[in-house]
Amino acid sequence: MECRDFVLQLDDLLDGGLDAARQKPVQEHLGRCPDCRSRHEHALAVREAVRKLSPPAMHPGFIDQTLARATRAVGSPNPRWRRPVLGMAVAATLVLGVALGVFLATRPQVQTVALTIDRPETVRLMFNSAKPLKAATLSLALPENVELVGYDGRRELSWQTDLREGGNLMQLPLVVRGATKKELVASLSHGGSSKTFRLKIEVDGAGRSGM
Amino acid sequence: MSDYRRTRPAALNFEDLLRPQVEYLYRLAWRFTGSVADAEDLVQDVLIKLFPRTRELLDIQQLRPWLARVLYRQYIDSVRQRARSPIVELVSDAEGEDNPLDALPATKDGPEENAERSGQRERILRALDRLNPEQRAVVAMHDVEGYSLEELEKMLETPLGTLKSRLHRARQRLRALLPMEPFSSGERVKG
Repeated sequence: MECRDFVLQLDDLLDGGLDAARQKPVQEHLGRCPDCRSRHEHALAVREAVRKLSPPAMHPGFIDQTLARATRAVGSPNPRWRRPVLGMAVAATLVLGVALGVFLATRPQVQTVALTIDRPETVRLMFNSAKPLKAATLSLALPENVELVGYDGRRELSWQTDLREGGNLMQLPLVVRGATKKELVASLSHGGSSKTFRLKIEVDGAGRSGM
Repeated sequence: MSDYRRTRPAALNFEDLLRPQVEYLYRLAWRFTGSVADAEDLVQDVLIKLFPRTRELLDIQQLRPWLARVLYRQYIDSVRQRARSPIVELVSDAEGEDNPLDALPATKDGPEENAERSGQRERILRALDRLNPEQRAVVAMHDVEGYSLEELEKMLETPLGTLKSRLHRARQRLRALLPMEPFSSGERVKG
């Protein structure tokens, strides 16, 4: 057996999938080829290292909360409301009744998203919070010609939500009806502190629509 | 299904069936995603989808592999959906001092998990991040969770040859990304 033949058998060797007829030449080759012995040891070691990775603990209360949310979500307008913040999900479902997403984040650069006229697209936004916050208020102000899907004509939306420490993700289903010059403004406030986030919306096809 | 189960509220049956599985689902989801937040989202999405199917769940003999299949499909769907939906990070107008709304460093997990990710653990996680979602899933389900490729062929409804190819490429990539020394005292692989 040559080294290249051994390499072809390595996966089966690792998985214990070699029958006696194939096992013998492989073992003989291993016995005389230090490179392939090393290759085999390396493969075993990498697999073992991956096996030993243990997941970080779930957030406290996750099992109770996720089961409760699953059994409550039936019939809600959009069951894809997700973890970012459990409170946020529930509150927003009640108030908005649609999937709405916000990543809590602050980065020192202007962000822009390009949308196509009359084509609903989900903008995924990320916020980070330095610590868990109960009952923060999140407000959205939509610029002209930008709509939240399912809420035609609503320019301002606001709801209370809980934020968890770290990343909080929400999804914002938007549709643009024409060119817009202003920005989408998201404001987050809690206990006297507030942050305002701005998102510039560029409109593809605005020229073609004549707007 | 017993009469007792048939007449109970679906939410109670659902909890009885799924509560013992949530930790398993989370563990598998974390191995798929590498992120606590994404893993919890994935599990949440799966449970929301499954609750209306509680009666069907009651008749499933081997629930865990069935759930693993649902989780895998949801994971692949979510990856594809995300690929179509770019993330936008909003810009804060003002950076106030000691404001809890100020950004944390961009990490997938909290500080505790982040601190834990040192040395070898971090390197392995980074290497797994370099696999594509299908490769990562087959490593998680075969090499870690111990499902045979024949079991995965049925569970994932994916041809055996495709699974073997994914696994081969995933292992090959992991070995390329993870040098020999930290894992074994053996010789370095040539070439």
